[in-house]
Amino acid sequence: MAVELEAQLGALTEETLAKGLEVFRHHLKEAEAGFLNACVRCGLCADSCHYHRTEPALENVPGRKLDHIAAVFKAHFTPMGRLAPGLVGAKRLDRDMARAWVDAVFGRCSLCGRCSLNCTIGIPMPTLFRAARRALGAMGLVPEDLQATVDNSLRHGNNMAIEREEWVETVEWIEEELQAETGDPEARIPLDKQGARCLFTVNPREAKFFPLSLQASAKVFWAAGEDWTLASDAGWDLTNYALFTCEDDQAAAIVKNLTEAMTRLGCEVLVIGECGHGYQSARWMGPEWLKRVFPFPVVSILELMDGYLESGRIQVDPTKNPHPVTLHDPCNLVRHGGISEPQRRVLRRAVSNLVEMAPHGVENYCCGGGGGQLAMSRYRGRRLKAGRMKADQIKATGAKVVAAPCHNCIDQLSELNKEYQLKVHIKTVAELVAAALVPPTLAEAQP
Amino acid sequence: MHPLLVIGVLASAAWAAAGLALLHAEARAYGQRALHAAPAGDPAAGVRYAFTGAMSPTAKESVREHLPSYLAGLAYHAGIFTALGLLAITLAEVSLPGPLRLLVQALLGLGTLGGLSLLLKRALKPELRGLSTPDDVLSNLLATAFVALAIFGPSTPWLLSAMLLLLYVPLGKLRHSLFFFVARRHLGAFFGRRGVFPPGGAHGR
Repeated sequence: MAVELEAQLGALTEETLAKGLEVFRHHLKEAEAGFLNACVRCGLCADSCHYHRTEPALENVPGRKLDHIAAVFKAHFTPMGRLAPGLVGAKRLDRDMARAWVDAVFGRCSLCGRCSLNCTIGIPMPTLFRAARRALGAMGLVPEDLQATVDNSLRHGNNMAIEREEWVETVEWIEEELQAETGDPEARIPLDKQGARCLFTVNPREAKFFPLSLQASAKVFWAAGEDWTLASDAGWDLTNYALFTCEDDQAAAIVKNLTEAMTRLGCEVLVIGECGHGYQSARWMGPEWLKRVFPFPVVSILELMDGYLESGRIQVDPTKNPHPVTLHDPCNLVRHGGISEPQRRVLRRAVSNLVEMAPHGVENYCCGGGGGQLAMSRYRGRRLKAGRMKADQIKATGAKVVAAPCHNCIDQLSELNKEYQLKVHIKTVAELVAAALVPPTLAEAQP
Repeated sequence: MHPLLVIGVLASAAWAAAGLALLHAEARAYGQRALHAAPAGDPAAGVRYAFTGAMSPTAKESVREHLPSYLAGLAYHAGIFTALGLLAITLAEVSLPGPLRLLVQALLGLGTLGGLSLLLKRALKPELRGLSTPDDVLSNLLATAFVALAIFGPSTPWLLSAMLLLLYVPLGKLRHSLFFFVARRHLGAFFGRRGVFPPGGAHGR
């Protein structure tokens, strides 16, 4: 992989570097220009980063990663950077700097944003790392496997290249399982139901590897009597890996699948399944990529379940989940998405013993799988090493079950489970709710 | 005070202000990002929190875990602002009453210690040394000298140090005297809009 990167760097021309710089410049707005002028290199951000915590080295300090980007900004776009580059640490974008950018923003960062909260100044560093990733994309330096995931979404409408027939068959099979589980032959997983209130979207990993997760969500909808549907064509996959390559045109094309499915099916609410980056992509970035206000609300299934429980639309028996449960906070859902409390309220009702990690909520540590890290095989070793923070947190809770409302995080946590011998079960929140559900007929009979 | 010194300080202050204004105008020329996603929280509340609670040890791990550096930084900045205040009243030919003079000297003394300790930390910690540029050292030396010389009251060396400091403000990292506020405002608005700032925002009950 290193050889491949070196070959790519070696092939860079002056024109390609200039193009990268132009794309970088184009991505900057007033806020970013302010951030790039603001760092005081105090180094206090260092320990906020899970990479630095698990491997204390200069290159893992968020401020250092930022410095590579700020150096280029100063050299090309500020008078002092041109007049006295040595004094202010300005460096032009060349092959060496491009290598440093790749290593910093792809290889040592999951865009979790924990450093933003802990920065002395208050610089939201992921914003600037995204600008750098985007410039690297323009130079053809996005890791191939990460780009391949995006290409799958663009070509097939989902990131795992699942064909329509396979998807429909999978849904029908899960529907049969749902009917068997609930004992209700009318329990449905609707496909392309015109005018349904909710369009539900899932991570393709649920169809491929975690059908129980989709079944659990469907069971909750069944119990709530929700009017919902899945799309059979493009528009069922909530993921958007262009959030990580930072190529906005491609991100826009992918999120458009969701908005077009909403229009096609005439749904009122776009419901995002348990996925951190999928939520940030659809809820927060989608309208920006498409440059328009969405005419429908985008909500997480966690918010829906919270509402169902609050209103008594579904009932749960926490004794069905007797083991201690801890909750993982996906960065894109919590720190960047603003969804922190609904899942906690849901779990407090649905499990017997919820044990919080320290720290948790917006101060959570990234599991290490964010920012597209799971799709960049060349950094697997670093990813697992950086995940030790999360592994240690989980161990400290003594929990037997980790609730993780994000399928990317679940993949990383599953690897951490093996790597660090955690001996935990990893489940979605919907799986825990589904396990605790009081069947509607029984719930109605209860006073 | 020699009139030339006064003119020099005033001219340096004007240079600093003009330089910062120009830098701000340059940043603004990059344009605003139009936002389309429906807000979940209040950006203004986020900005207020960013400048208050979000900087406190309870909300900020980097502060909790590095209290000596945090306190040194507070003392340093308190010293700098005290010295700037002293400079203003010196130029206005106002003298401080005795008890206040002692307080000012104490703040300046603590500020000097804060500045020196942060410089020492930068020099001694390999990681921080690796992160540093000559700008970091020069900025610290200029500001610390300005604070330290202020302890001894108005003098030619102090006014010269003030001139050098003010002249350097827009050129190096001292520009964070402006961009700290710019960055924190954007940070607060970003997290406020998303219902993350202040805590218990959009989805709290």
